[in-house]
Amino acid sequence: MNESYKVISSSILFWFSQKKWFVYSVIISIFLLNLSTPVGLTVPAYHSLIILLLVFMLVTFEPIPFPAIALLTLVLQVVLGVAPPDVVASSFMNDAVLFVMGSLMFAIAIVHQGLDIRLAKLIIKIFGKSKRIFLAGLMTISAILSSFLGEHTVIAIMLPIGLSVIKNIDTQQADGKNAVLLTLFSIAYGTIIGSIGTPSGGARNVIMINYLQEFSNVSIDYWKWMKHAYPILMIQLVVAYFVLQFTFPSSLNNIKMRGFKKNIGKTDVKKNINHLFSCLIIIGIVSSWFVFNDIYGLGIIALAGALTFMIFGMISWEEINKNTNWGVILLFAATISLGFQINETGASSWLVLRFNELLETLPSNSMNVSWSIMAVLSGLTANFFTSSATVSLIGPMAIELHPTDISFALSSAIASGFSFLTVISSPTAMIIYSTGLVSTKMFFRVGILMFSISIIILYLMSQFYWVKL
Amino acid sequence: MKILIAIGGREFSKPTLDLGMKIANSFKSSTTIAYVGKKISQFSEKDVSVVHQNLDDRELYRPGIRTLEWAYDFLISKKYIEEKDSNKFDDYLLVDEENSRMKVLLKGQQSDKIDLIMRTGEIIEQLKDEVETNKHDITIIGGGGNKGIHQKLVQFIDSSVFVVKNYSVNKKYKILLPVNDSKGSDMAIETAINFAKSYKLNVEIVSVPEGKKSIEEVEKILKKTKEKFSKNRIKTTTKLIDGPAVNSIVNYAKDDSIVILGVSPKNPIMKYFFGSKPLSIAQKCNCPVLITK
Repeated sequence: MNESYKVISSSILFWFSQKKWFVYSVIISIFLLNLSTPVGLTVPAYHSLIILLLVFMLVTFEPIPFPAIALLTLVLQVVLGVAPPDVVASSFMNDAVLFVMGSLMFAIAIVHQGLDIRLAKLIIKIFGKSKRIFLAGLMTISAILSSFLGEHTVIAIMLPIGLSVIKNIDTQQADGKNAVLLTLFSIAYGTIIGSIGTPSGGARNVIMINYLQEFSNVSIDYWKWMKHAYPILMIQLVVAYFVLQFTFPSSLNNIKMRGFKKNIGKTDVKKNINHLFSCLIIIGIVSSWFVFNDIYGLGIIALAGALTFMIFGMISWEEINKNTNWGVILLFAATISLGFQINETGASSWLVLRFNELLETLPSNSMNVSWSIMAVLSGLTANFFTSSATVSLIGPMAIELHPTDISFALSSAIASGFSFLTVISSPTAMIIYSTGLVSTKMFFRVGILMFSISIIILYLMSQFYWVKL
Repeated sequence: MKILIAIGGREFSKPTLDLGMKIANSFKSSTTIAYVGKKISQFSEKDVSVVHQNLDDRELYRPGIRTLEWAYDFLISKKYIEEKDSNKFDDYLLVDEENSRMKVLLKGQQSDKIDLIMRTGEIIEQLKDEVETNKHDITIIGGGGNKGIHQKLVQFIDSSVFVVKNYSVNKKYKILLPVNDSKGSDMAIETAINFAKSYKLNVEIVSVPEGKKSIEEVEKILKKTKEKFSKNRIKTTTKLIDGPAVNSIVNYAKDDSIVILGVSPKNPIMKYFFGSKPLSIAQKCNCPVLITK
């Protein structure tokens, strides 16, 4: 057989084996494009739903890089007549995208300052009386910080603290293994739970606030979100503590609370000033989110944080550029743009109509059923698709279900933050998984219980607490 | 010759590492021991990278380093590396190279014969890239795990692939060499001669009459192959076995066989969708199998 034929066919096969989901996605999309438009749906609306399905498949299976998916989404919106180029371009950038960009840069700047050592000392000082209280402290501090600074910042700061206290534990013994898992899950769950607490806890929260403002003209400020979400966070924390203690029973004998000490270099005056200044910037930015969020928007304030670190020479642009996930920013921008078109073309109304028709076939049809389906669907989709992308794509539908009742939109965003089931659902889960100490099965096994309890807590709070606000 | 040994879990990788190093020592070849870390979702890859960098700065082990440290200690315990005070694993430097490749440099490391590297991503893609970039001749991998991985490795990697299955250090092995008149078989014969010479192994040459081939023709192939080994003063026995090629060879192979096969001459597209005889043999045999390219 001709050698060059073998080489070429082998290369094509390798490309196919790596990109097969791209090929399948394109074939499915072409097939759907050739079907007649469903009744009640305009052609642009139908095409926007096909692009939505395509994006879901491509983001889930990752056969091509995220920036390529983002560009494809933009190109297809114009080529398939969903919206004219100018409209697509203007929907591509808004405060939610600026927030994603700003919070990623801000996170890198914070992590770069090495605040973890100082934080570890503080945690020991406050919670160092016993090992169990120390773990509860790790979880609580992770949750509080994550609620303001976002998951990716906090897990990067807290994981070294967690790994330093468990580094000499023998994981071959059940007691040691449980101590390791208990420590890692305490940090992970604290961080995940915290991210629902405030708008700046996760990009999904900001995206939903943005959608509510655009589609329903409902404004939710920082305080209002906190009043709705923080009590849920606190109940979840208590539940998570007991779920973890029950799942990973351990004597905690081998945990060395001062295990990080060896790794601390001598603190000098320059470092102290740097840390003090970092804390001031963080406090300044968080306070601005509270006070100026209506005037400047969350995104601009997050960008101001990264900007301050750069202006004062506390981090270089090269460092930020190297560690910022530009692909994710592009993807969020493109999916938010698609979310806007899904709403503008009437595709979301059509989907909600079909959803309500489906509900009518059920024996008991009520608000509670539609709420439950929407919340569980948001939570499950987020676990298999990542939370922010879920909200950017199904957020318009959640709002459309009850445009004047914010509990549907809030529940959808908060349920999307319950990334307890899969390791791909959030940066925290992926980082914990990347340590090699936690398997996907283990994550799911513990997570299914936490996910179910969290949905119940969310339901009860939305029914009995939110109505009083 | 350059050898790539891919390792995963610790205990699980012992036989792979042991046999791989024996082969590397016999051929005096340079060896790369590679650990391929879990694929990270694109959503989190930068976050994971920042965290791992942070762990390095805090002198906390980066995931994957523990496996390489275990591999290094194993090589010392088996005397594949001479133990010195200066070449302890404690003092290492991670060099971030291109394409998700990280090289571990030990402070006292004198020899460039053994490289320890870490890669992150989809295993086939990473091993393919490693082989193409560093021109490895043999890729050695454990026999456990997903069988699809072995098929893809054989199909896409541009080196011979050695699947180490059910290997025991204390067993005395012999080479089982199935031959026919294909080009792939010629390469397998050449490799078997080199292996038998440097590893001092006996060789059993077998052939199965297939298609329109007469028994005389097959016997001629066996005789010709035996002569090649005799010229190199290697002890061989020959055997003509009946039946369907794959099952006959799989049934004939024993626990103490190392099966050496040539790659199938089949069209790559047919191989991808319908497999090939060498691949089926490698999947069904319960002993180490080397597919030469």
